[in-house]
Order: sequence, then C-alpha cells, then structure tokens
Amino acid sequence: MAGAAEVPLAAEIAAGRRRRRAAFLRRLFGHGSFLIGFVIMALFVAIALAAPLIAPHSPIASDYRNLNAPPSALHWLGTDAFGRDVLSRIIYGMRVSLRIGIAVVLVTGLFGTVLGVLASYVRWLDGLVMRMLDGLMAFPGVLLAIALAAVLGPSEANAVLALSITFTPRTARVVRAGVLVVQGMPYVEAARAIGAGHGRIILRYILANALSPLIVQLTYVFAVSVVAEAILSFLGVGPPPPAPTLGNIIAEGRSSVQETWWLVTFPGMVIAVAVLGLNLMGDGLRDVLDPRQIARREGN
Amino acid sequence: MRRPGFPDSLFRLAAAAALAMAAAGSPATAQTRGGELIVVQGSNPPSLDAMTTSSQASRNINMNIYETLYGFSEGVKPIPILAEGVTISDDGLTYVFTLRRGVKFHNGKEMTARDVKASLERYRRVGATKNLLDPVADIAITGDYEVTFTMKKPTPTFLEAFSSPRAPAVIIPAEEADAEAGKTSFTGKGPYRFVEYVPDSHVTLERFDGYVADTRHDGPDGFGGRKTAYLDRVIFRIMPEPGAQVAALEAGEVHLLEQIPVPAARRLEKNPDIRLYENMPWAFLTFILNIAQPPADNPKFREAVQVALNMEAILAIATEGLYQLDHRWQYPGTTYDPGDIGADLYNLGDTERARRLLKEAGYKGEEFSILTDSNYPQHNKAAVVIAEQLRAAGINAKVKMVDWPTALNLRLQDSGWNGWTLMMGIEPYLGPVGLIATLTSPARPHFVKPDPELDALYQELISGPTVEARQATFRKIQARLYELKAIIKIGDVGLMQAARANVKGFRPFRFPRVYDVWLEE
Amino acid sequence: MLRFLTRRLLSAIPVLFVVSLVAFGLMWLVPGDIAAEIGGTDATPEDLAAIRERLGLDKPVWERAVNWYGALLQGDLGYSYLLNRSVVDAVIERLPVTLSLAGLSLALATLTGMLLGILAAVRHNTLLDQGAMIVALIGLSVPEFWFGILMIIMFGVWLGWLPTGGFVPLSEDPVGWARSMVLPAFSLAVSQMGVIARMTRSAMLDVLGQDYIRTVRAKGLRARGVVFRHGLPNAMIPIVTVVGVITGVLLSGAVVIETVFSLPGVGRLIVGAIQRRDFPVVQGGLLVTAGIFVFVNLLVDVLYAAFDPRVRDGRGG
Repeated sequence: MAGAAEVPLAAEIAAGRRRRRAAFLRRLFGHGSFLIGFVIMALFVAIALAAPLIAPHSPIASDYRNLNAPPSALHWLGTDAFGRDVLSRIIYGMRVSLRIGIAVVLVTGLFGTVLGVLASYVRWLDGLVMRMLDGLMAFPGVLLAIALAAVLGPSEANAVLALSITFTPRTARVVRAGVLVVQGMPYVEAARAIGAGHGRIILRYILANALSPLIVQLTYVFAVSVVAEAILSFLGVGPPPPAPTLGNIIAEGRSSVQETWWLVTFPGMVIAVAVLGLNLMGDGLRDVLDPRQIARREGN
Repeated sequence: MRRPGFPDSLFRLAAAAALAMAAAGSPATAQTRGGELIVVQGSNPPSLDAMTTSSQASRNINMNIYETLYGFSEGVKPIPILAEGVTISDDGLTYVFTLRRGVKFHNGKEMTARDVKASLERYRRVGATKNLLDPVADIAITGDYEVTFTMKKPTPTFLEAFSSPRAPAVIIPAEEADAEAGKTSFTGKGPYRFVEYVPDSHVTLERFDGYVADTRHDGPDGFGGRKTAYLDRVIFRIMPEPGAQVAALEAGEVHLLEQIPVPAARRLEKNPDIRLYENMPWAFLTFILNIAQPPADNPKFREAVQVALNMEAILAIATEGLYQLDHRWQYPGTTYDPGDIGADLYNLGDTERARRLLKEAGYKGEEFSILTDSNYPQHNKAAVVIAEQLRAAGINAKVKMVDWPTALNLRLQDSGWNGWTLMMGIEPYLGPVGLIATLTSPARPHFVKPDPELDALYQELISGPTVEARQATFRKIQARLYELKAIIKIGDVGLMQAARANVKGFRPFRFPRVYDVWLEE
Repeated sequence: MLRFLTRRLLSAIPVLFVVSLVAFGLMWLVPGDIAAEIGGTDATPEDLAAIRERLGLDKPVWERAVNWYGALLQGDLGYSYLLNRSVVDAVIERLPVTLSLAGLSLALATLTGMLLGILAAVRHNTLLDQGAMIVALIGLSVPEFWFGILMIIMFGVWLGWLPTGGFVPLSEDPVGWARSMVLPAFSLAVSQMGVIARMTRSAMLDVLGQDYIRTVRAKGLRARGVVFRHGLPNAMIPIVTVVGVITGVLLSGAVVIETVFSLPGVGRLIVGAIQRRDFPVVQGGLLVTAGIFVFVNLLVDVLYAAFDPRVRDGRGG
C-alpha cells in the first residue's frame, strides 16, 4: 500500500473518531441518570481526594476522655469508641472505598478481559476456562471472598485481591460474550484476510468493540465492591483497624447500635449514596452504549 | 408456673437458706419452680465434653452439667464437691479421697470409685490441662467410695490445681471413659442435664430430678455447695451480635446476657425491667513482648515500652470504661496480693522518658508489629491504642490483626511478631500458680524466651510449704516481672452482665450458675 | 427434552469438581488450623502436634486430598472437628433456615419486584413509573446488612412488633416461624426486589412495544387483559433467567443476614468454620451451597427450555 494514500485516510479516521467521541459524550451527559450519578460520584471523588484538607480532625487520633460522644458542634457526626471523629473517619473512609473500588475494577477488568478473550479466541481453552469460571461463580460470592480473605490475611491489598477473584468470573463471561458477537463480524474477517496479526486483531478490532459491555459491567463491579468492603469489614476480614473504612466504622458501632446510632447510620448512608451514584452511571452507560437499547428508544 | 405449695419441705428449707445467703439481698419472696430460662452468649461452646476444653463459652454451660471432686469456693479455696473429703499424708505423698455416697449420674447410676478412676485416667489422656495430673504417679481404687493418689513428690499446691475449673477434671460414668475427646454423651451429675446442642443456635438443659444436693452447705458456694434447680429448662442461646443480644433482652425474648456491652449497660441502668450485674475484676489485660526478637530483645527497649504506655487510655477504650488500674499480677486484696511492687513503673505514659530510653537502646526505627485478633474487641482495641502511644514515643509500631486461630499460631512462632495483646480470664482467678505456669518452663512462655530466674521462682512457688512462704515467693515474682518487662500488665478488666428483673437469685460468678435461679412471674 | 436434561446434568459435574478443588485448595492454603482453637492459649507446640495427629492434620496434603475425595465419591462429606456431628448432618440441620430465608426473600423480591416493574411499564413515562424506578434503585443501592440492623432497631426494639433474631422451625410453630423470618427475608429481598423490578419493566416494555401486542390493543382489548394475558407470559423468559442469577446472590447475601439476625443457617455455619478452621465443614458446606446454586440454575435452564424450544436444540451454555 502506498504511503501517500494512507495519510489522508488516517486523518479522516481520526477526525471521525473525534466526532463520534464528542457525539457519544453529548449523548452520555444528556442522559439524566448518568448525569445525576456522575455528579454524585464526582462529589464523592472530590471529597475523597481533598480528605486531608477538609477533614476537621485526624481519622485515627484517639481520645479516651471523649468516647462515644453524640454529634455536637465540635464533632458533627459524633465520636466512636476510640474517641475519634466520625466525620473525619467517614471522609477518609471514602478514600479507602474509592481506592478499593478502583483497584478492584482495574484488576477485575484485566483478569476478566484476559480470561474472556482467551476463552473466546483460543477455542481449545474455552471449555476449560469456562468450567473454571462456572465453578467459581457457583460459590456464594461473600463466602468465597471471606475464605480468600482468611487465606490472604486482612489488609487493603488482600481485600482487593479477594474481591477481584470473586468478581472476575462474571466479568470474563461478559467479555467472552462480547468478543463472540464481534468475532463473526465482517470487518474482523476482513482484518484477518489482509493478514493482521492476532495481537492487532484482538486489540484493535475485537476488544475495542467488546469494550461497551465491559465498561457497564465494571461500573456495577465498582458498586458491588464498595458494599463488599463493608461486608468484609463487618465480618472482621476487611482492612484491619485503625484503618478508617466505611465498613470498619459500621462494624465498630454495631455492638451498641442503639447507644451510638451515629456510627452505623452515617457510613451506611454514604455507602448507599455512592452505590446509587454508580448504579445511575451504569444505567446511563448501558443505555448509551447498548445499541439494542438505542434501537428501542428510537423505535418508541 | 407458680407452685407455692410445693410439698418437698427439704427443698424449701434449702431454698430459704440459699436466699439468706444471697448477698444481693433479694426481697424475701418464695422461689418459683418451673419455667424456662434463656441465657445468651456470643459464641458456640467448642465442646460440651468438659474436661477437654478450657474455653469460657464451654465452661458457662458445662459447670451446670458436671461436677468435680474438688472445686473452688466463692472465696477461691478448694472445697470438696463430689468428695466427702481428702486425707493427705504427712509426707505429702498420698491423697486419700473419700466420695459422697448416693450421688447419681444423669443416666441414673450411682457414682463409685470406679467412675472416678476412669474419669481421671481419661483426663490424663484427653484433658485440656492434663499436666495438672503430672505430679500423680498412680490412682488406685481403695474402696467402693475411696480413691488413693500416690504422688511422685510432695506438691503442696496440688489440691488447688486439681480444683481448677479451667478445664475441670469432671467425673463422668466409667462406661464413657474410653470415648475420644468430644465423643461422650455429655452425661454428668450436675443439677441440670444435657438435652440438645444445635451449634450456632442453642444448647438445651433440663432439670435433673435425680440430683442429690450436697447437704453440707446451706446454698451454693463457688463451684460447689448445695445446688437447687428450680427451672424446668435452661436454654443457652448463641447470638454473635452484641447489639442483637441487647435488643433481645430489651424485648424480653431472653432473660440473661452472659456479657453486655458497657454502653448498653449504661443506657439500661434506669430500666426497671433490667438488672445489671458487674463483675470486677474479671480478667487481666496484658501486652506481651517477643523477647527473642529485636527490638524487644533489648531490655532498654522494653523499658521504653513500659514507661511509654498510658494504661488508663488503653483500658478506657479497650474495656469501654469498665476497668481498674492495677499494676499487680494478682488481684488486690487476694491472698497473694503483692502490694506496691512495680507501681512506680506503671501507667506512666512518659513519652519523653521513652524517647531517651529508645536512644540508649540504639533503636533505629525497626518495625514493631503488634499481633492481635479480630475476635476479641478488647484485644484489638488495646492493640490499636498501644500502637498509637508507641508511635508517639517514636516506635515504628504497626497493628497486625488476623483471626484468632491465625493469631494463636503466629505467636507460637519465634519471629514475625513483636508484641501481642492478650486477656487472661481464668488464670489470674486461679491464683499465682496457674498464672505463672503460662510464663515459665516447661511450658513455652508467652514471651517466647524462658527467663531462668522466673523459672526458678516458679519452682520455689509450687514447692513452697506454707502460704506465707509462697506469698514471699510471689512478691519476688512480681518484682521479677517488672524487671524483665517481657509481659506488661495493662490493668484489670471487668465483665458486665444483665438479666431481666424477673430473674431472681442470680449471683454473678465465673460462669452463669443457673441453679438457685428462678423466674418470678 | 431428555437429552437436553442429561446434557445439562452432566455439565454440572465439572463445575462441582472445580468447586471441590477450590474449596480444598483454600483450606490447604489458609494459615492456622483448628489445633490452636481446641488447644487454647496455653497449648504447647507438643499439645498442638497431638491434636493435629488425632485429626489427621499432620498428614501430607495429597494424602488428605485422597482421603477427602475418596470419601466424597461415596457421598461422605466427612466429620466436623468441632460440632460433634457429620458435615452432612450439620448442613442438613441448617438447610431449613437458609432455604426459608432465601426462599421467602426470593418470593418477596419476585412478587413485589414484578408488581413494581409491571406498574412502571404499563404507566410508562409517568410519575408512577419514575417513582417505582426510584424505589427500585434505592433498594438496589442499600447495603443489606446495614438495612437489617436498622430493621432490628425499628421493628424489634422501638416498635417491638417482631423478634430481633433467632429461628423458629416451621414444623414447631408456623406463626413463630413467619414472625422470625419477616425481617431477615425483607432485608435480604430489598436489593433483589430492585433488580427484578427493573428487569420486569424493561422486559415488559420490550414485549408491549411489539407488533402483536399493538395489534391486540388495537382490537380494543382492555389494558389489564393485554398485560396479563399477552404481555407477561412473553416477558417471563428474561425474568426467569434473572431469578436464577438472584438465587446465587440471595444465597450469598444470606451469609451476612444470618449473622445479623443470629439465624443458625448454612452461611453462618461456613463462616464460623472458616474462622475456626473446621476444614471438613468448610469444604462440605461450600460444596453443598454450590450444588444448590448449580441445581437452581439447572432448573432455570429447564424452565427456560420449556418456554423457548430453540434453547433445547441449540446451544447448551
């Protein structure tokens, strides 16, 4: 192929891609659910990032003269059984939730993609990989995560690993399904015909097109991991104290819910709002990315 | 089920006497026979085969089902329970136990010397603290109601150790003595008999109508005395969530909480339907150092830790406010109370002095890993506060929290941990021998490397011929522990219990005694 | 149909094999063992070695694996180290609790979820639709264990209407059973109610938008008739699929709810066994729960095939 012909073609493709991206973003932010979810999560991320600036107290400094104090002007959301400021702990806890959520999304996305592509692309591996994933999926997720956390020991990194292993199978299935759909498409056949290598085909054509369901899936994985961190901490296998995680705050407050209601109520609400935001974003992404849905909306 | 005209006059006499004994001074109402009492505890009993376990969750239930030859009185002195008495030879080498006659097992058979020998031989095999029978060379049946122990050497503290409720040397029917640990039918001869155990749900006991009370006493005394079962049935419910336990008590679904969180207790103080029972002191809270590993192998470093700690802050947080500051390795006012020794090093919270000592010790900021577990809040809360205080003094302290089995395994390794928080519940109650045994050879001391001086003092303690001699030895032990600084006493921890107001006759003790307790309607 | 069934049944075998392998592997890797739990704080290394020998924990891993799989092939899941009963008995004893909880939640979630979903679909793009979807979304977002704690405080303590925890067997006292199950089942159902409501709504919208429904409508059939006679049956396929997935989620969520409400269920059995290293119970318990999950999905597949003959003949996965 002549180099001269390639240049304008590439520029055209790039321009087209930019246009499509702009249109996509317009559609996405025009979607009410996504916008609300996005605002919630943007706020969440901003608070988490600015934690050292906005937290009124240290999240781990104890004060034994001021244990379990109800909300007051000094401690807006009260103190916990260590005399620590609950508001500050929640703010820093959002940081940990965010960190865990993002890490789980990345690791799950990576494992899920690799396994999903392997299963769909390498035919003889399909049966083996899928049976393994089916086996993992047959475990109740919480039990698998608890067992993994017991094996690995409680720490933030291990919580991430345990949750990633738990969520990978479903993600891999989503990727595999997406790839299988794309694989039969004419343009992939065409790429193969012009002699493109496996790596190039997978990256450029197949993955790029299986990405939509993956992104939607990962948004939900994010939401589930925020709750799962709380569950692991609640059962004593999450990040160890004095780490200020939302789950730890609830876990520490649960022995005296009636006396120190602020310990259980507020972090629970933060979790619910975050999960709500992520679900809204996921819904928006799904509507915009899933062509079937678009077709329906346009048909109606 | 009120039955005011209960015909058994003997029973009424006993009941009245028990009431007169009750320190709590309940109003003089007649006891009610019948009814069902629901007691709540947080965890499953690991076993109901009493001699094989030293867990508190098991003891709570088992001590209502089983009895021992000797046991502790309310004042922590050995008293005969199933034994009529014991005659100890002048050389201290022969113990002749005579047994009470007519005492029946739950299966209806009468207890004889054969059952006693068989049970104790079983204890030697499967008993959780089987080394307490180590001083005994031979157990012989010397009559239908008499067994004779021949000792290897005189052991003045043997009867105390033998009376220990820790993993009690209970008497079971000889037919069950060959059973593996945990495989008996849980037949004892206490005032209540075992009916059913559904793990994570409940253990059911029923009144044993064939129970033969010990008429030498007027009422219950410690683990022995005259016990009277009023209730038809007792259910120990297993509820893991303290919050749910309190809710159930308030709703009247259950009658007695073996332990209630202190904040809940404070809230319920004014509630006329609930009565609170405070047990103080209940346990020691300790901080153990691994003296086989740097940096705590250095005595100067250990001194820095000792002076850095503010015990009041640790206790206030770890116990939720139910504690007493106490530097002693025996409870204040007990026989072996060592007085002021060590008080000058206790509860200093002196960060500056700690920093100086660390400099002298040549501490370079090596990581100091504090092992603790997620199962016992007192352990992990103490660990968190200790780490915070040590960091303030310049020690690079980190909390390493794992689950209980992992913690127990890790601390048996020589490395991988530098500190460990541990609550000692029953050991301090048992007196100095039981406590110091866990810190000296031949056991592996909690702080890993045995201290020859402490080992020698332990031998001196167990062979001390008189109480006075042993008291003197224990003062030396107290002094040595504060010199060594391998295990640091944080303080004494209390235990709060709560019951519905209609639960009468309950007197808090080392386990919830459900005999001599009745329900008022 | 028979061939389809056999094929699906056979495909469950490798899945369960993987489950057993993972369960065994996890318990092989986990640090600590039950010896410390039995021996307590004062056990010497020799005491622990004796306990391990008694329980066969001193044997090399391959020998333990051979023993376990050997027994497993004969239907024997082993004997608990702590509970004084066989694993099969321990699990069977608790199945009624977990099945009551998961079953009731499933029923509750399905009924209310479908109701919400149908309402929203029928009144598409109205306030009712939006309201229903907001309820569904909030339900979906609330952490169930947290919700359960709040329920206990509200209905168990403040109002005193319902017990705060514990389980009453159905055979003993049906009313007590129902009362003991209301709060846990509701807490567990809330988020799945949201899932089903959303699923039902979108499935119904799909179906209601199709030509034949428009035709039926045009013929002047009353709206309710259209929805229930024609719309719902066709929307059932995706809903049934979701129910299969949800069963897994409910079995998983039951673990936490059982702890919050002090219910002696299979989930709590396994969590307790993990925490105390009662290996046979963990391995056997996981195998049984996974088995239930596989079975339910098999059932869903069969239902699915009954609704849609193409599935029977075509793909199996």
